[in-house]
Parts: sequence; C-alpha cells; structure tokens
Amino acid sequence: MTVKITWMIGGAQGSGVDTSASIFGNAVARAGYYIYGNREYHSNIKGRHSYFNLTISDVKMHSLSDEVNILATFDAETVFQHFMEARDYIIYDKTLEGTKISTVQSMEPERAEKIEKLLTSNGYGTTIKDALNYASSKGVKLVPVDYGKIISEVATELKLPTSVVERARNLIASAVSLRLLGIKLDYLRAALRVFFRNELYVRMNERASEKSYDLVQSAYNLPEIPVNGHRVQLDGNTAVALGKIAGGLRVQTYYPITPAADESTFIEDNEVVDVLDPETKELKKAGVLVFQSEDELSAVNMAIGAALTGVRAATATSGPGFSLMAEGIGWAGMNEAPVVVTYYMRGAPSTGMPTRGQQGDLLFAVNVSHGEFPRIVIASGDHVEAFWDAIWALNLAERYQTPVIHLVDKFLANSYSIIDESELDYKGKKIIDRGKLMYKEVEDYKRFQFTDDGISPRVPLGYAIMHYSGDEHNEYGIITEESENRIKMYEKRLKKLETADREIPEEQRLRVYGKDSDIAIVTWGSPKGPAIDAMDELASEGINVQVIQVKMFNPYPRNLIRKLLEGKKMIINLEANYTAQAAQLMKLNAGVEPTHYVLKWNGRPITRTEVKWAIKHILSNPNERRVVLNGGA
Amino acid sequence: MAVLKVSLSPQAYRGKKWVDWCPGCGNFGILAAESQAFAELGLDPKRVVVVSGIGCSSRMPDFLNVGGVHTLHGRAIPYAMGVKLADPGLEVVVNGGDGDLLGIGVGHFVSAGRYNVDMTIILHNNGVYGLTKGQASPTLPRNVKTKALPKPNIKDALNPIVLALASGYTFVARSYAYDTRHLKEVIKAAIRHKGLALVDVLQPCPTYNDINTKEWYEKRIRKLEDEKWDPVVKDPKEADEKLVKAIERARKPMDEEIPIGIFYQNEFVPTYGERVASRIGNYFELPPAKQIIEHDGESLTLIDKILEKRRVV
Repeated sequence: MTVKITWMIGGAQGSGVDTSASIFGNAVARAGYYIYGNREYHSNIKGRHSYFNLTISDVKMHSLSDEVNILATFDAETVFQHFMEARDYIIYDKTLEGTKISTVQSMEPERAEKIEKLLTSNGYGTTIKDALNYASSKGVKLVPVDYGKIISEVATELKLPTSVVERARNLIASAVSLRLLGIKLDYLRAALRVFFRNELYVRMNERASEKSYDLVQSAYNLPEIPVNGHRVQLDGNTAVALGKIAGGLRVQTYYPITPAADESTFIEDNEVVDVLDPETKELKKAGVLVFQSEDELSAVNMAIGAALTGVRAATATSGPGFSLMAEGIGWAGMNEAPVVVTYYMRGAPSTGMPTRGQQGDLLFAVNVSHGEFPRIVIASGDHVEAFWDAIWALNLAERYQTPVIHLVDKFLANSYSIIDESELDYKGKKIIDRGKLMYKEVEDYKRFQFTDDGISPRVPLGYAIMHYSGDEHNEYGIITEESENRIKMYEKRLKKLETADREIPEEQRLRVYGKDSDIAIVTWGSPKGPAIDAMDELASEGINVQVIQVKMFNPYPRNLIRKLLEGKKMIINLEANYTAQAAQLMKLNAGVEPTHYVLKWNGRPITRTEVKWAIKHILSNPNERRVVLNGGA
Repeated sequence: MAVLKVSLSPQAYRGKKWVDWCPGCGNFGILAAESQAFAELGLDPKRVVVVSGIGCSSRMPDFLNVGGVHTLHGRAIPYAMGVKLADPGLEVVVNGGDGDLLGIGVGHFVSAGRYNVDMTIILHNNGVYGLTKGQASPTLPRNVKTKALPKPNIKDALNPIVLALASGYTFVARSYAYDTRHLKEVIKAAIRHKGLALVDVLQPCPTYNDINTKEWYEKRIRKLEDEKWDPVVKDPKEADEKLVKAIERARKPMDEEIPIGIFYQNEFVPTYGERVASRIGNYFELPPAKQIIEHDGESLTLIDKILEKRRVV
C-alpha cells in the first residue's frame, strides 16, 4: 500500500460537517481512491461538536485511524477537541487564535478540563494559539485561513448576504484540504452537484472553494489512479436498503429512531422500482410499500401481518424499538412467519447514547421474546456485507419460516465507503430462495403440517382457508392444548433450527482473514474493519495475527470455530461492549474461551490504531487479560 | 369492499370447533350475525381474513371457517393493516374486545383513524375483562361495581363512538349483540363501506357484568333509523356538520337511552390504499403480495438506476 491518509473535519452540529465530509470524500474518490469515513455526533439538535474521520487509501480499507494527517477545522472547539491527534496539518480560522477554551460553551466541562490540563501541564496557556503551538512542537504544520474574508468576498461577488454564504465555511476547509492532497478542484465541483440541487448553493460553494484552493500548495501530490468499472458511495443504511430492494422486499414498516430511520426513508424515496418481466424481459414499474407506523409495536406486527400474504416484509429499528418488538417477534416464531428485523445497535441501555455506537445487544437479539423458538441472527461487518446480508436475511426468513434478526451497528449505519459496483452485482446469480412458498389454491390446507425437516408447505392468505394463532395450535392452526400435539408442534418449530444448522455451510457463517497464526482475533460486526486493517499493518511490523469474524450467531458455526481455534496460543476477543457477549456465545456453543479481551463501550468506534496498540500491549503484557479502549472525542 | 363471488349458507362460514363461550354470552350473537353477513355479501371464505387480539371475543377466528389470524393482546389492528395493505384484494375484519382495542391497543385504535385503511373493526363491548375474571374495562363507567370488582370502578369510561369519530373513522356505528338482525345489517354496511369502519357492539357478559344485563340494555336501546337519522355525508362540505352532530348524539350518558345504528359515514376521505396509489400508480393492479420477485432464483428487481445516482466514478 502506498497511500493511506487520515483526514478529519469537525464543527458544530448543523454547520454542515456531514455534508462537507461527504462532498470531500466524493471528490477524492473521483481521483480513484477508496474512502472509509465515519460520522460522530451528539444526540442534540444543533450546536454540539460533531466530526467526521475518514481514511483515504489506494487499496480498500474498512477502518479509521487516531493519527490524523489533515485536521480541517473552521471553529474553535474542533481545534481544542482534536489538536493532539493531528500529525501533519491543521487548517484553522486565524481570527480565532485568541479564543480561550473556557469560552467554548458547547464543550462538555469534563472534556474542557481534561484538555486545559494537558495544555497547562505542558507549559502552555489555554487559547487556540496555545493548542496550535503544542501541535506545532510535535511537527504539525499550521494552515491559517481567513474564513471571514473569503465569505465576504463571495458575498459581494454574488450579491448575497454573508449570512447565506456562511454556510460555505465547511467547504472552504475541504477545498484547502483537497489542494494539500493535490486533487483536482474539478472533482469537488462535480461532487457539489451531487449533494446540492439548488444552483445558488452550487455556485456559492464553488466560488468559496476556488478562492480557498489557491491558498496553499499541494503537499501530498496524490496521483490519479485509473479505475476499472464504476464505484459508488454508500453508507450502511443505504447498503441495507439496496439489499432489501434487490432481494425482493415489498413491505417495510418503521417508527422513526436513530440510527435506523434513514434506511426506511431511503426505500420510500425509491418506492417505485424497476422490475424485469421474466417472460418478455421488459422493464416494468412496481411499488415497495413503506409505512411509518405509530410505534414499534405496530411496525413489527404490521410487517408480520404483511408476511402472511406471501410478501417479503421487514422492519428496521434500534434498541428501544427492538425492546418493544419483542412480543411480536415471538408471535412470528410461534406462527412460523418470515419477518426480517434489521437491528441497528446503538449506545444502550435505555435511551443510552442514541447517536453513538455499541454492540451491546447481541445476547438480547439471540434470546429476544419469551419462550423457545428459532431466532436466526446474523451480523454484518462492512457495507458490502450489509448489502448481501440484507438479501440473505430475507432468504433465511422464508426458507426456515421464522423471524430473522439482522444486526448492524451504528458505526456501519453512519459511516460510508467507496464500493466497486462489481461487488454488488447479482445479475445472473441465484440470490433469491423462497423456500417452500407456493402460490396455489389448496383445499383442506394444513399451514403447520408436520414434516421431516420441520418446515411446512407455505401458502399465502387468500389461497386457502388457514388459521394462525399465538396460542399452541394443531396442524391447521386451530388452538389446542392437547399434550401429544404440544410435544410434536413444539419439536417441529425447533427442528427448523437443526435443519438450518445442517443446511447452511459453516464457512458461510464465519469469515477468516489472513494467514494461519498462533494468535487469533475473534470479532464480529464493524470491529472486523479495524481488526483486518490492523492485521495488515501488524504484518508489516513482523507480527502475524489471524482474524475470525463470526457472521451468524444462531445457528452458531461451532464446529468450524472450534477447529480454527484449536491449539492457538492466543485468542483475542474484540468487540464494542462490556460483557464480551460474542465470547459468551462462543463458549456456550463451541466450548472455546478467549485468552484475552479487547473491549470498548465509550460509544466511539474502535480504530485500527487502537487494535494495533492493544495487540502489542497484550503481547508484551500477556497476563493482562482484559484491555479496555477509550479513544475518540 | 373486496370481490363478491360465492353463494354459501351462513353455516358454511362457521368452523367445526366447539364454541367455549359462557352460555348466554353476547359473542354468540356476534358470531351468528357476522357469519350471516359474510354469506349475504357472498364473500369467498378464502379471501376473508378475520384478525383478532386476545380475550374471549378474540377466539372468534377459531369458530369461523375463513382465514383467521389470532394475534397478540391489543395488536389486531396492526396485523390487519399489514394484511390489507400487502394484499388489498382480501376482505379484512378485526374482532376484538373493549379491553383489547381500547385498553392495551388504544394507540392503534386512535392512529387507525388517520390512515383510513379499507377494513372493518368489530368491537365486542361488555365493560369487563372476561378472560381474566371480570376486571373493569375502559368502557365501564365510574362508580359502577360489577360483581367481580372488590370496589366500585374508580376510572371514567371512554366512549368508543366519540373516540372513533374524533380519530377520523369514516364509518361509525353501534349495534347490540342480541339483535342479530340489526347487527348483521350494520356489519354488512360496514364491510361495504369504502374506508375504515367501526361497529361498536354492546354485549352483555352474563358471567361478570351483572349491571349491564340484557334487561338493562333492552330498556334503553333506541334505533337511530326510527328518528330519521341520516348518517351519510353526501357532499364533502357537509362532513363537518354531520360529524359534530354525530358526536353530540353519541356523547349522552347511556343511563337514559342508548342509540344504535350508523352514526356517521363519509366515503369522500381517500382510503390509505388510494393514497398509496396516488404515488405508486399500479398499486391496486400489482400490490406487494402479487408481485413476482424472482425467476429461477434470480432477482427481477434492478437497482442500477439507484446506484447510478450514488456513482463517483
């Protein structure tokens, strides 16, 4: 790998940090680079510090670094929050040099105190200038920008009030960064048109960018990389939404919740889809019904009701919503209804930290709702996986006629990456499996007919008289408490999990990265990204580790994981929670226990810098069994 | 209302299962009237879906020979909406008790008024929670002490007719479980109605409600049709006036007299399906449940145009 650059932009929530980071990434990607970027923000409406950290690389990466090459700021707080992470450049507003940390009201007092202490204990004062001098002493170059001057020039030139042009402030920082990288301004112009439909906004941002671009000289001189085929910019919510649409989803219900709602609104925005007529090969239009319900109880139960008509139906939520959905998921289990719940885990318990990430709900997902029934649980580790897993979830639900929980975390939902379209290509591939679904009229239909594999022939409502009930029922779905039927019907439902365990190759349920080594990192979900990127970086330092990512937690790939971990000197469990939930499931299912744990629950994403540090730390302190990470502002 | 096509006796709509309600229960009247209504409307039993929650009355699907979905306590309405919106060709009827629809499920009951999904809700209203031995339900008035209550009811009752009217239901009626003729006609009108219909069925509970008995009801019941009540909105301009009148007529305390019949009907409000069809042009011809999504395992849905919008190179 030749290029690996970390760029960060920060600012008050509502000041366009997210948009400028997306535009910036879009522009850099046009020069042939991959991007992995993540947004961190407070649960508030406006004004608190939010920031976007992204990795620019010529080979695809899936993680962030704590060592920031270019720190792009346009307010005071971002300088204070991040100057210690900067390595090469800090772009800042030179009119703010005298601002004292104590005057930044949006900053949480505990955090401000900590930074004040860092500065004063190193013999500095507490102004922006002091923070910059500190960074400068570590070799960071400073790029002062007079934002106010550029804004007033653009305002005069375009005859606009400065209050409007103020909105271009974030783009100024992005344009300066782009010049430092040596990437053409034309790419920024093109990216602007993707994100702004209003011509006035395009023009204003364009002018501001042009004026800023010339303020510096290129420092990194990134060459253009030719790209074969096409690439797209996708975040986790969009990747899942696209997977669902491609996988034939036709009813999606939801109640607004962070960080799940964007998936549903994206589907609604694309509710009329292109469908091929299988015979004539003509392109036709078809509709996907997206329903915003009054609460999550309604969302899950509506989706289940829809599933009874033979439609592929799903809902998407986060922790609080999933708690409310528990009873409905049990009904779907009892009634063998194929429903998919996409579960975006966030900082919990209770409302917790709604805009921060965590992997604290795995055991809840695996055990959701009272009683015993098959719950299939899968988890995605990156955006491409999220796309394919959304399709997989729909298939599993129909094949095994049971609820499927697709776990995605906030770190995937709100991050984006640049993806080769070929990775999402499903043309000519058999990607849809509807199991024992039949569209035909049946007399004397037994919806819950006993079969060897536990799975009954399934006919939608409307094709036969059939009964469903959350109470124990007979093969017709009629309520009965008769003892022998209870034994058989109960066994029939649970037998489906054994069938799934037999049919789904364990190789599909976990992934192995890297060469065989006596050190294994076992992880799941988004930490897979920093784990494999750290693995590559450690290898170049002569430390070989292997990464194992578990993708399916029920039924668990117990034989394969046992085989893979046999004889390992170190098994390092990596996940974003306190109780090492995936490790608990590994012990329960496969009887294997990690030797070490690397855990993080402060709500910020695990970075490759942290994983690398943790592995080295464990290697030199093998008696320290539990390492806790705390990075991120 | 969905397709009419068959000619069957009311008995053909009845299930084979032994009906285990208490002798004299109002549910028997509702079961009889509902199956007669299905027969007289000529509904295909396969294309009728009766959705219920939890409670004595919610056992209804087991006693009917039509599609039956016995769901969770309070959640019949969301299940029914899911079925109807995925396949608008099905005839969907919700049967639920006052505890189910107005207690644990009242959020869905109220919200349903905003959606106006074309389906029928039959409210079995007896003032008590029968299946759990007679606690007060949301329709039992304050200071009334039915026999299972240790003390008189401390809470006020809500009025299902007024609540439905205020929530946006486009067909609101009340009937009486022991007058199966009247009830059958009201259910037929409710099913025929284009939009969300509520039929509030007053129903004695001979086991737990010793106050609102058959005698008590029959002394007070008056038929709206006898007072030349015209519930039907014939021009959108008169909708408000008719709605206010209906609320006034329904809000009087039931101690003196109880009007039954159709209070209000307005077909000018677009159904949820019609609202969807205004955005997805072929929604009724090709609803979600009728779409073919794969051919020999290959997906028929293309996402190329969506991806194009997200393309960087």
